[in-house]
Amino acid sequence: MKSHVLRGILGALALLLVFPGLALAQKEIVVWHGYRGGEKAAFEKVIDTFNRANAGKIKVTTLAVPYDAFADKITAAVPRGKGPDVFIFAQDRLGGWVAAGNTVEPLDFFLNPAIKGRYLKATLDAMTYQGTTYGLPLNFKVITLIYNRKLVPVPPKTTAELQAMARKLTNAPAGKFGLAYWYSDFYYHAALMNGFGGGVFAGRKPTVNSPQNVASLDYLLKWINQGFLPAEPSTALITSLFNEGKAAMVFSGPWFLGEVAKGVDYGLAPLPTISEAGNKPMRPWITVEGVYVAAPSKSKDAAFELLKYLTDVPAARVLALEGRQTPANKGVYADPQVANDPILKAFRQQVDVAVPMPNLPEMSMVWSPVTTAMNVVVKKAASPKAALDQAQKEVVERIASLLKK
Amino acid sequence: MGRPSQPVSHRRRFLIGLALAALLGVGLGAALLAGARTAERRERAERRAVITLSALTAVVDRASGGGAKEAPPATPATEGGMGLGAEIAAAEQGRTPAPADTRADAVRKAVAGFAAVHPEVAAIRVVELADITLAASTAPADQGAARAAPRRLERAEKPLYDLGEKLRAAVEANRQGAEGAARAPELGFTRQPDGVLSLAAPVERGGEVTGMVQMETRAKAEPASFAWLPFLAAWLAPVISLLLLALVFGERRWWLAAAAVLLLGIDLWAYGHYALGVLRAERRESARAVAEQIAGESKKAAALLADLGVPAAGQPLAPVLWDVDLFRQSRGLIAANGAPDEGKLGEIAGADAGRMTRSVAVLAVFSLALLAFVGLGWAARTGAALAEHRAAYAYTLPATIGMLILVFFPFFYGIVLSFTNANIYNTDKSVVETWTGLANYVDIISDFHVAKRTADGLVWNYHNFYYTLLFTIAWTVSNVAIGVTLGLTLALILNLKGFALRPLYRVLLILPWAMPSYITSLIFKGMFHQQFGVINQMIQIAGGHPVAWFNQPFTSFLAVLTTNGWLSFSFMMVISLGALQSIPADLYEAARVDGASRWRQFRSITLPSLKPALVPAIILSVIWTFNQFIVIYLVSAGEPGGATEILITQSYKLAFEQYRYGYAAAYSTIIFLILLAYGTWQSRVTGATEGIG
Repeated sequence: MKSHVLRGILGALALLLVFPGLALAQKEIVVWHGYRGGEKAAFEKVIDTFNRANAGKIKVTTLAVPYDAFADKITAAVPRGKGPDVFIFAQDRLGGWVAAGNTVEPLDFFLNPAIKGRYLKATLDAMTYQGTTYGLPLNFKVITLIYNRKLVPVPPKTTAELQAMARKLTNAPAGKFGLAYWYSDFYYHAALMNGFGGGVFAGRKPTVNSPQNVASLDYLLKWINQGFLPAEPSTALITSLFNEGKAAMVFSGPWFLGEVAKGVDYGLAPLPTISEAGNKPMRPWITVEGVYVAAPSKSKDAAFELLKYLTDVPAARVLALEGRQTPANKGVYADPQVANDPILKAFRQQVDVAVPMPNLPEMSMVWSPVTTAMNVVVKKAASPKAALDQAQKEVVERIASLLKK
Repeated sequence: MGRPSQPVSHRRRFLIGLALAALLGVGLGAALLAGARTAERRERAERRAVITLSALTAVVDRASGGGAKEAPPATPATEGGMGLGAEIAAAEQGRTPAPADTRADAVRKAVAGFAAVHPEVAAIRVVELADITLAASTAPADQGAARAAPRRLERAEKPLYDLGEKLRAAVEANRQGAEGAARAPELGFTRQPDGVLSLAAPVERGGEVTGMVQMETRAKAEPASFAWLPFLAAWLAPVISLLLLALVFGERRWWLAAAAVLLLGIDLWAYGHYALGVLRAERRESARAVAEQIAGESKKAAALLADLGVPAAGQPLAPVLWDVDLFRQSRGLIAANGAPDEGKLGEIAGADAGRMTRSVAVLAVFSLALLAFVGLGWAARTGAALAEHRAAYAYTLPATIGMLILVFFPFFYGIVLSFTNANIYNTDKSVVETWTGLANYVDIISDFHVAKRTADGLVWNYHNFYYTLLFTIAWTVSNVAIGVTLGLTLALILNLKGFALRPLYRVLLILPWAMPSYITSLIFKGMFHQQFGVINQMIQIAGGHPVAWFNQPFTSFLAVLTTNGWLSFSFMMVISLGALQSIPADLYEAARVDGASRWRQFRSITLPSLKPALVPAIILSVIWTFNQFIVIYLVSAGEPGGATEILITQSYKLAFEQYRYGYAAAYSTIIFLILLAYGTWQSRVTGATEGIG
């Protein structure tokens, strides 16, 4: 027994002596991601291809981290050198990571115009904080118009059409609504807000109660008063309404499509232009899943090779067609199979008018006051102006209390 | 307790006690002094290096001839003078742009010239950010055709480029930053273990950061700062004095004690005085050295600029402003004439004296405690107890260590955190840097804006601590009342003899407790939905109007109360049922024989027998309900506007939605204190922990 072990060890040592390169040159890269199901399978397939192409040089292993624990795990583990070499996450935490330090590696040193030109502009903007690029955009998520083909043969192009159509399709006592979306949620409302020319920050100063933001909420109230939106919206409610054919149109993103029941024949179209705001388009926020190199990683060059590969056309093609994701790579949309996919095409179209969700660390101070304001407005407990003034006051206070030392 | 047979020697104990106490006090004091001296010497070296760096930046900037200038400098003038950036920018004005090639050559010449007159500088590198190039370098490794500047930065030099980008981002962030916000450092600074200082400053052209100049000093051995002789003298002097006095006092215990305390006090005071003198001399030396450095550097820089043929007119050097901190703000310690500012030096000396008094006082408290511990014999008794119960302490050691790591460390860490301003922006800073004392507690407790009177009547401030506390108490009391009443009633019914299908009912009634409470909560949340919830549908069938449950504080409260009532009655029922079944039947039989009524039996037999089981259950239930996170968080989510938030959910939101970790820790500590006070009071009043009495 003992001699077996000994022989094994000796054999391994001999192997190392014969192929020193095997032991020395191969870099181990650990990737953390939050994918499940089909997305995970597609991602792992891409990683497999990468591993095969780089056999003996780079070996990538992946770890799926439960999404709700992911952000805190990164914040806690990566700066202390206990984290992965590469991780995939949305851009909203980027500013916080940069402020906290030693989390994400700046990439500008590696980048050249050719690489930068590969991506849809808004997605690369989302990866940039204070003029420095910290990640490469992998996929993006954006909300768009999803409609039931049976009820809506031709999707509306303008909000005037949308309202007329929605009123016609609504039968509130029967629980039928022309349009359903989570309008009391700030993320969803952002499409109207940005469409009206509003926003959350000017530079680094919060502008929650800007006239444009107030106008967008006034406008939302007009929609609510027409009665074609269900009360107390939530994702679960909207999904079940749409699946039962009781909601003709929905504003939602790719995450919604997985929830749509088998029998529902749906189509996607860009969000309508706002007739009441000079026909400017509704501009939803996009969230971009970026691939980041962890700052304490020991194999940053190999990690960057992986980043480049993951965000290049062949990988993007697999992620799009098999993982049903919407890649940030521009070139992949020239691929005939991707170009003919109505879903991918619709999201790709929507990006052109979308706005990256702010990645400033101050953004985390915005959510809660603005969510409260949205709820108050939707319940008609206060006017949009009063509610947003209050939210602005709270946001300013919260940011001040965080920045004072 | 096994006492040694020989009589206790007070003399020996006080001598050992004083020796240990003086060692503690003077030793710590000497270590602190050595630390302060090292820090001051390091700061002196840093300030001198920063002055050299400032001179270097000024020279490089002038040599490069600057660029076209469109915008005025954005750096605001601060008290104590302009920042370095503004000084350079101001100096740039009215300059003609130079072509890029000549500019690069001029920069290389200037850097070489600067290095030639600065033997203490090991290497200078100038980085151009736009095209990631090394514009100039005097580092030995960068000589020779292959690696000489200008060239693109190599992979190994990425940190250099990243540092430049970081400084650029810092300068920009500081310019557009909010009023009163923390500034980001605009100078790069690292100290290597061998004493090499590496400094970096941004290079600005036309109001924008375009590059970085980095400078490394040569390794320099640091002189030892720990002074052994004063330390030994201060340690042994009181011990020897006490030894002599002991010859006079003999075994008189309190005389010895008084002498030891007095000697220790005088000793610490004298050492503090000596330390203050040492520190003051170091400060003075720093001021002198910095002034000298400024004079020397400005002379060298002027000579170098003349050598390079850079016209001096219109862009005078401002060496007084070269003594800056890492934020490129003048330290204000050097007066306009280049000499140390005596007023500022006096202020610093005053602050030093105050700090010294505090340190000596703290050290005195600790060493006096040690003196008393040893001198009065407590140390001997503790040692004896440890030795005697050796086995017992050994057995409990693993558990003690486990408790320390798993329970007490997180607990005390939370309490320490509550005294800091820890938040998402400063997770990389230490506790000392973010320390704010009692500020969080004061903020929470002294905010009495519970409600304000307006035209529409009383408007509650739902985010106020006292509102949330009142709501939490109301929530706890009503929940426990409902739980106990419902649970006890059901238990009494289930305890009836001859009740058909009793086991079935028992299982059914325990189900709410057996289901995971978050699932129950989510189901209730759905049931209270305005349009689709089953409760509103029932109301509509009965002909009523649907209620928007979470729009009004009261209806929202009813919703969470119902949910928690459902979740909590089972526990009370099980406890009561168990206690009911353990009451001996002969008690009731005897009561019946004596002619007691049913009600009388309940009051005199059932309730008293239930008490030992119910009271701890109520105490537990109060604490659980007080911290019933799930129901509030999932069902009402604090709606409307935080009105139904309880303390624990509020604290969660402070920590994980607002990322104010320190404030949230203070909030949690207050919750803990409230529950601690409640638990102590409750168990004292009821004697519940004493078991069945």
